[in-house]
Amino acid sequence: MFLTVIGALNEGFLQTLKLFFVTLLGALPLGLVICWGSMTRFYPLRWLCRFVVWVIRGTPLMLQLYIIFFIPGIVMDQSPWPAGESGRFLACAVAFILNYACYFSEIYRGGIQGVPRGQQEAGQVLGMTKVQIFVHVTLLQMIKRIVPPMSNEIITLVKDTSLSRIISLQEVIWAGQAFLKTSHGYSGLLWPLFFTGVYYLVFNGLVTLLLGRLEKKLDYFS
Amino acid sequence: MKKMISLALALTLGLSLTACGSKNAENTESASDLAYVQDKGTLVVGITEFEPMDYQDADGNWVGFDADMASLFAESLGVEVQFQLIDWDSKVMELDGKTIDVVWNGMTLTEDVKEAMECSNPYFNNAQVVIVKADQAEKYQTTDSLKELNFSVENGSAGMEQADAYSLSYTPVLDQATALLEVSSGTADAAIIDYLMAVASTGEGTSYENLTYTVSLADEQYGVGFRKGSDLAAKLNEFFAEKYADGTMKQVADKYGIAEKLVEQ
Repeated sequence: MFLTVIGALNEGFLQTLKLFFVTLLGALPLGLVICWGSMTRFYPLRWLCRFVVWVIRGTPLMLQLYIIFFIPGIVMDQSPWPAGESGRFLACAVAFILNYACYFSEIYRGGIQGVPRGQQEAGQVLGMTKVQIFVHVTLLQMIKRIVPPMSNEIITLVKDTSLSRIISLQEVIWAGQAFLKTSHGYSGLLWPLFFTGVYYLVFNGLVTLLLGRLEKKLDYFS
Repeated sequence: MKKMISLALALTLGLSLTACGSKNAENTESASDLAYVQDKGTLVVGITEFEPMDYQDADGNWVGFDADMASLFAESLGVEVQFQLIDWDSKVMELDGKTIDVVWNGMTLTEDVKEAMECSNPYFNNAQVVIVKADQAEKYQTTDSLKELNFSVENGSAGMEQADAYSLSYTPVLDQATALLEVSSGTADAAIIDYLMAVASTGEGTSYENLTYTVSLADEQYGVGFRKGSDLAAKLNEFFAEKYADGTMKQVADKYGIAEKLVEQ
């Protein structure tokens, strides 16, 4: 019995991990784009970006999942999401990437604006281009500054993936909950649901270690 | 700057208007759901794990009375059947969002359900039963004795309707499994769930050996739900009538030991 349950939970946790990595892969660069948009001097774009960040950060991710997954099919003749688990994963990935990119963009903005303006002016005096200043002067200092707040968000992301069960992505909480009814031939088991906590705890332990190491590595100027 | 703002506002308004417009258009032309399903070649069946109606066998195939009948129905339409696990609370949204085509999962035909979906004729008899701790079961064998208990019921379920009908005090929870969990852990005194589920998940050999079922509150019937206005419901009624007459339906029900509760078509 134990092995069957663990097998089912592993399968669920694989979905959790997949969503986690896909979200990071999409949200890290998209966050930079939104961050740039929200600081640009081209005001319509700036307002649009800040408006999007306001809406996304101002509404629950759970609601965003519902809206992204169900509204297109209700409004149109056919749902744009493919039938089956893959469509649900895609919808989750879109919602999570958009949501986390908005949070990341604000962290990036804080990191960039935290670098004293004098350094950019110094770069200009030395005849560096805007791109050179960003890459050689601002970027490294920004990365160093944003690691602690980013760690926070990344750990939250690991746990937030559980929200995807409301549009029936079969991640680890779903797999655990299924045993409350019937799953893989076992009915009314309680412990698998609670046991999923171990998965999150272990994985977040690994993430914490990794990010701690990264922080130390970036400790080149304090 | 003000111009920009008013432009943005106008755009938002325009967009929301078009959104409403297209929705109305869709409602009037949703006449042939059958054509839509046959056109895409799949019937996506929304289910939850619910033995003996829909559950996975050792090889991971979906079996059960409902699953088998759904497969036969899809076959008769000439399309592939595809089973999709859903969150039961979102079943109407799943239908309207066209992420599934039918809810076929031992669904009790309540007023709410009939309001929100195009339902088939009833095909199966079920009851709502009261779950209590086994050692207290003797005290709660009549409906009068239930008044003093705090109930836990699935939100929006037929069990909740019964709790309302008998004006029992209750807390709505996520699903029937959670309701059982509440009784088992003592956070609620009793729960009201489906008879089929009560048989499958309480008593010896389950995690709820300490629970049992007592009073039967209401007899009720199971039906299949399609999108509101769908012509598939009538198609399914024909299918049921045909399969009941030739004995297929009884044969499938016998396989799962539930033939005595079939409804004549």
